[in-house]
Amino acid sequence: MRRALFLLAGLPALWGEETRVVRMTAERFVFTPSQIKVKRGTLVEIRIASEDTNHGFHIPRAGVAIVIPKRGRGEAKVLFRATETGEYDFECSKACGAGHTQMRGVIVVE
Amino acid sequence: MSLFLPMWLLAAAFADDSQQRIEQLEKRIALLEERLRQLEAGKAPAAALAPRPAVTPAAIATPVESAAAESRSPVSGYMDFHFNKDRVEQSPGVLDFHRFVLLFGHSFTNRIKFWSELEIEHAFVEGREEKGELELEQAYLDFLVKPWLNFRGGMLLTPVGLINERHEPPAFNGVERPFVDTVIVPSTWFESGAGVHGDLGRGLAYKLYAMAPLDATGFDAGEGLRGGRQKGFQSITERPAVTGRLEYRGVPRLSLGASFWRGRTGFDLLSVNPRVRVFEFDGRYSFSRFDFRGQFAHTGVSQAGELNRALQRRTGVNPNVARAMRGFYWESAARVLPRRWPHELALFWRYENFDTQHRMPDGFLPLKQFDRTAHVFGATYYPEPDVALKFDYTILRTRSQLFGSLHTVNLGMGWWF
Repeated sequence: MRRALFLLAGLPALWGEETRVVRMTAERFVFTPSQIKVKRGTLVEIRIASEDTNHGFHIPRAGVAIVIPKRGRGEAKVLFRATETGEYDFECSKACGAGHTQMRGVIVVE
Repeated sequence: MSLFLPMWLLAAAFADDSQQRIEQLEKRIALLEERLRQLEAGKAPAAALAPRPAVTPAAIATPVESAAAESRSPVSGYMDFHFNKDRVEQSPGVLDFHRFVLLFGHSFTNRIKFWSELEIEHAFVEGREEKGELELEQAYLDFLVKPWLNFRGGMLLTPVGLINERHEPPAFNGVERPFVDTVIVPSTWFESGAGVHGDLGRGLAYKLYAMAPLDATGFDAGEGLRGGRQKGFQSITERPAVTGRLEYRGVPRLSLGASFWRGRTGFDLLSVNPRVRVFEFDGRYSFSRFDFRGQFAHTGVSQAGELNRALQRRTGVNPNVARAMRGFYWESAARVLPRRWPHELALFWRYENFDTQHRMPDGFLPLKQFDRTAHVFGATYYPEPDVALKFDYTILRTRSQLFGSLHTVNLGMGWWF
C-alpha cells in the first residue's frame, strides 16, 4: 500500500501533470486558509502544518480523515482531485480544545 | 500533415485513456485504503467486506503523509495544576489543582454536532460551602448549513476576548490567566444562549449570539462584572443580551479580533435596570521565533449610581460599582531553543493595566487599590507541544498609598490530551 501511495504521489510528475500545492496551517481553532478555490479535475496537494496540537483533517465527501502532526513534528499531505463541481467541506476531526467544532473550511471546485 | 494527424489523434486518445486509468486507480486506492483502515480498526461492517459495485465518488482525496495512526481517546480534556506563593505577606504557599476539564463530543451527522466541556475547579466540591466549582462551561448543538451560516444553541462560551474561547493551558503563557481576562472580561464567561456563526471568506469569521444576561446584583468594585455571571444556573432571560465577535485570519500567523456584549442586567432589582456594554479588541502575531499578543477591553455600566444605592439598601454595603472599567495588556514571548530540538522554551513578559474604578458615577469616589498594573514575566517549557511546565514572577501594584505591591511566585503544570 505504501508503494502505491508513493506511486500515486509521483504520478503527476511522471505524466507531466501540474499539481497545485496549497500550504495550510492548523491552529486552535482555525485552518488558514479556510477556503480554497480550485478548478474541476485539478490535482491539489494540500500540505498542512500545525501551530499547536494534533488536529484532524477530514473531507467527508471524499472519505478522507488524517491526523495533522503537532507543532514542529512535520506536516500532513493530502492529494485531492474533484471530478464534480461543488463545495467540499473539511473539518478538524480530532478534538483540539474548547472551539473544536468551529474549526472548519471548504474547498470550492469550479 | 495527413500522416501526423492520426498519430496526434492516437496520442490524444492514449493520453485520455491514461488519464482515465489514473483516475480509476486513484479511486480504487482510496477505496482500498478506507477498507484497510476499517479492517485495522477491527470495526469493518460485514457489508464493507463484501464485494460492492464500483462507485464513482465526486472527489478523491488520498493521504500521502500523516501523523502516526490517529489515537482517538474517548474523551479529551485539559488540566491545570498550580503552586502560588505571595512573597510580601509571607503567606504559606498554596497547591491548587485549579482545573480538571473533560470535553465530550458527538457527531449525529456531518451537519449536526454536539460539543461539551465539563470542569471541576479547585478539585473539591461540596454543597453550601465556599469550595471548588463544578461547571458545565459548554454543551451545545451545532447545525452546520453553509460555511458562512451555521446555527448553535445550548450552553455557550461568550465570544469575547483572547482567552475566553481559547483557554487550554498550553495555549497561553503564565500560570494564571491574564488579569484583564479575569476582572474586565470575566473569563471563563459562559451562559445559555443561541445564535449564528460562520466563515465569511477572505479570513473573516463571525459569531453572533443571544444569551442570558449578567446579573447586576453580583457586580462589585474589585472584580467588576465577574460576580454577575449566572453560569446557566436557571438563568433569568427577561431580556436576552446580545454578543458577537468578528475575527480576521487572512494573513498567516496574524489574528485580529473585535467583540462586544450588550444587555440589561437589573432583572433582579425593582428600581434600576443598568445597561452594560463591553467592547474588546485583541490581536496576536508570530514572527520567526517571536510571539506577540495584546488586548484592550472597556466596560460601561449605565445607572451605576442608582445601582450602588439599590444594592446598599438591600445588603447594607455599598459595592461602589464604577460606570466605566477598562484594561489592556501586551505580551511578548521568544522561543529560545533551536528549532531542531524536540523541546521548546518560551520566555515571556506581560504588562497589564486594569482599573475596575476607571470612571465613577456622581457622588462616588474611586477606590484606588483597584487601579492596578502588573508585570508578569517567566518561562513556559514544552517537553512536547501539549504539555506546558510554567514559571512566572508577578508584581502587582496599585495606585493606592495604603497597599504595597504584591509579589507572587507561581509554578504550574498544564496539559492537553
